[in-house]
Amino acid sequence: MSSLPESLREKPLVEGRVSLADLDEHVQSLSETNPPRSWYVAVSITSLVALVGLSTVGYMVSHGIGTMGNNEPVVWGFPIVNFVFWVGIGHAGTLISVILLLYRQRWRNAISRTAEAVTVFAFICAMMFPAIHIGRPWMPHWLLPYPNSRGMWIDFRSPLIWDVFAVFTYFGVSILFWYMGLIPDLASLRGRTKSKVKRAVYGLLSWGWVGDARHWLQYEKAYLILAGLTTTLALSVHSIVSMDFAASILPGWHMTIFPPYFVVGAAFSGFAGVVIVFAFVRTTMKLEGYITMRHMDLLNKMVLFLSCVMTYAYIMEGFTAWYSSNVFDRYIFANYVFGDQWWAGCLTIFCNCVLPQLLWFPKMRRSVPAMVTVAAGVTLGMWFERYTILILSLHRGYLPATWGTFRPTIVDAGILVGSIGIFLTLLLLFLKNMPIIAAWEVKPDIVHYQKDAEVEHA
Amino acid sequence: MRKPAYGVLALFPSADALLKAIPKVKARGYAQLEAYTPYPVHGLDAALGLPESKLGVLVFLMAAFGAVGVFAFEWWANAVNYPLLTGGKNAFTWPAWIPPTLEGSIFLGTFTAALAMLFIFNGLPFFGHPLLQTKTIDEITRDRFALLIVPSGAAFDEADAAAALRAAGGAAVETLPAPSHETPDAAWWTRTALAIAAACAVAGGATAFAIRVFPTVKPMVNMEVQPRLDAQEPDSFFANGRGMRLPPAGTVPRGGTPILAASLDAAGRELIDPLPVTEFVLERGRRQFDRHCAVCHDRLGTGRASLSSVYTAKPADLQSSTMRKIADGSLYWVISQGYNTMPAYAADVSPDDRWAIVRYIRALQRSQDAPERDLK
Repeated sequence: MSSLPESLREKPLVEGRVSLADLDEHVQSLSETNPPRSWYVAVSITSLVALVGLSTVGYMVSHGIGTMGNNEPVVWGFPIVNFVFWVGIGHAGTLISVILLLYRQRWRNAISRTAEAVTVFAFICAMMFPAIHIGRPWMPHWLLPYPNSRGMWIDFRSPLIWDVFAVFTYFGVSILFWYMGLIPDLASLRGRTKSKVKRAVYGLLSWGWVGDARHWLQYEKAYLILAGLTTTLALSVHSIVSMDFAASILPGWHMTIFPPYFVVGAAFSGFAGVVIVFAFVRTTMKLEGYITMRHMDLLNKMVLFLSCVMTYAYIMEGFTAWYSSNVFDRYIFANYVFGDQWWAGCLTIFCNCVLPQLLWFPKMRRSVPAMVTVAAGVTLGMWFERYTILILSLHRGYLPATWGTFRPTIVDAGILVGSIGIFLTLLLLFLKNMPIIAAWEVKPDIVHYQKDAEVEHA
Repeated sequence: MRKPAYGVLALFPSADALLKAIPKVKARGYAQLEAYTPYPVHGLDAALGLPESKLGVLVFLMAAFGAVGVFAFEWWANAVNYPLLTGGKNAFTWPAWIPPTLEGSIFLGTFTAALAMLFIFNGLPFFGHPLLQTKTIDEITRDRFALLIVPSGAAFDEADAAAALRAAGGAAVETLPAPSHETPDAAWWTRTALAIAAACAVAGGATAFAIRVFPTVKPMVNMEVQPRLDAQEPDSFFANGRGMRLPPAGTVPRGGTPILAASLDAAGRELIDPLPVTEFVLERGRRQFDRHCAVCHDRLGTGRASLSSVYTAKPADLQSSTMRKIADGSLYWVISQGYNTMPAYAADVSPDDRWAIVRYIRALQRSQDAPERDLK
């Protein structure tokens, strides 16, 4: 190891000299101690925002869909924009914890747990939107095939039904993967806690996990199988979401590039979301030793890479519209950037294609204000991308007589802001109460890098 | 006789120390070893001689079952049980059924992988594990690596096993007692049964609330309340206070026939049954009566159908002497116009069907309390 030149040596993913017990002390003590006052302030603000959002949902339900901006011709307004946006944010967790696991990327270990939590909470926000925009949200079971006195079944040929199956499966599997990863850490918490009640609860939740070598063998096998299967899911879910659009004949939606384009977009916005979360978590929770600048650097490289793929997809989409010689397709794409809501299309391109190019500079990838600015820009840009695709396509259909302009209402805004509040509240509760770093995955890394350090010292 | 111990346990400070100790302990003749670690230690399975996991086979089978099951269900639901035909094409539209098939396969595969790993292959939950009764487990889940010698044969000597572990570098050697396997007693079964019954009661109550009460709570009144006037509602906009406009005099509904009789009695005098006396007419009358009238008047016309209990004004008994004496034309008039709380059926039942119903009511009346000559 020490014979390698400095530049070729692997930089440790764990900074400083820590023991296995130190990790538990750092991470798992959080659920045993009282959080600082700033946590209470933050959670009060976010839960207030969430409450405002939920009240707005209540107002919308009791007064009807008409209180939102949805109307002919833009029948899918903010709810579907927000749905696609949140599903996209959720994709990073799966990509980090699953695909990077298959590639044996060690740097995923420290960030996988919180990224998976981001997935689960983003999905809770995402699933709220289709549920409330169906008009009668107390009848969501109509989306599922169940035997009924009408003798009818749902139409399995509909992309919207594929979407229901994809999203429910993804949500279920995300929770499963997350929980499975938590089991050994819950067993570890069971050993730490002083409270008898907590000990019983953690004991039950970890199913009496004792760390038997035979159990670990099966556990790792199951983890790998789950990762393999969830990879297909991570790639298929946003593809299926994109078919909600691509399977229609609307100009601007009817594109074969949509499935891969949506998957990349989802990963892109997801990684940006994760960068923001970790930029705050690692400093406020003093986890710089485990979630190092190298982690942030690698995450930012992913954002940069995905931004380049995104740019390619935009160019390809425009090229398809031009090359098709279809008047409507050409018009729609011109309308994105030159139409009456030109700012939405231009903001999308600026935030998603231009702004992330800053990350080519190593200094920017390692500067917290720079990375948060870029990531926030990407998050905003990806929201406006969905706005552009959805609303700017819908309001200019094939029949110019039906053209209209979409105007969101205060109810739309309230529900969107409320969903951010719900997400942040859940995230804050998670950060306080759960082991936010997968200890059983990071502990071998600690041993690995300490060994390297010892060899160097010797 | 004392129960044989579960095993003799020793702690090691690192995974490497544990891996180095295993061959040493094995060399002293202890073949059956178990290891407990805070994280998966690669190489332990080979050192302990653990067999490969068979989990993959089960997951593959379940994922395949999920795919076949969902696909078959889609085919049955959309092509067989309730065929949805689009554009005159074949109902067997397999390409469109692939996305849910994929999702079903993955759903079953992933849940099988996680749940079978925990509950079948690992035999969890096992809260009776002797390690869980010790303080040692708290160290193992943190940063200690444990090796356990499982007793084999009658000649097992705890002291010798402990010495072997110490010689291999183990510390904090202790003997774990056998797990207590208590068979559940009557009280346990009662508690379990009560718990299940309580869970069923809660689930049943919640379901009843969810499907019966919840949808009727405001604002979930299924678009019942809307900013529009319902039929016959008053409204101050027009001078006569009615929400509806009266049609101009002489207006005739499209496809309908106006009833020219002015009153119940006039109808009895003036309206004449135009239908021929055939079996078809009676059969038609029976079907129309059962569809529209029987829900209140009962299938025999007694006025005591199940729904009649919810009305304050009881539906008329068509078998009563008044109804037997009333003229055909008057019955027709009541069906068309409604009477007291009975609504008009002119919009729902065609004139010929109304006459057929009248004919069937007469047949019903004759069928009940029939005079002796009719029975011969």
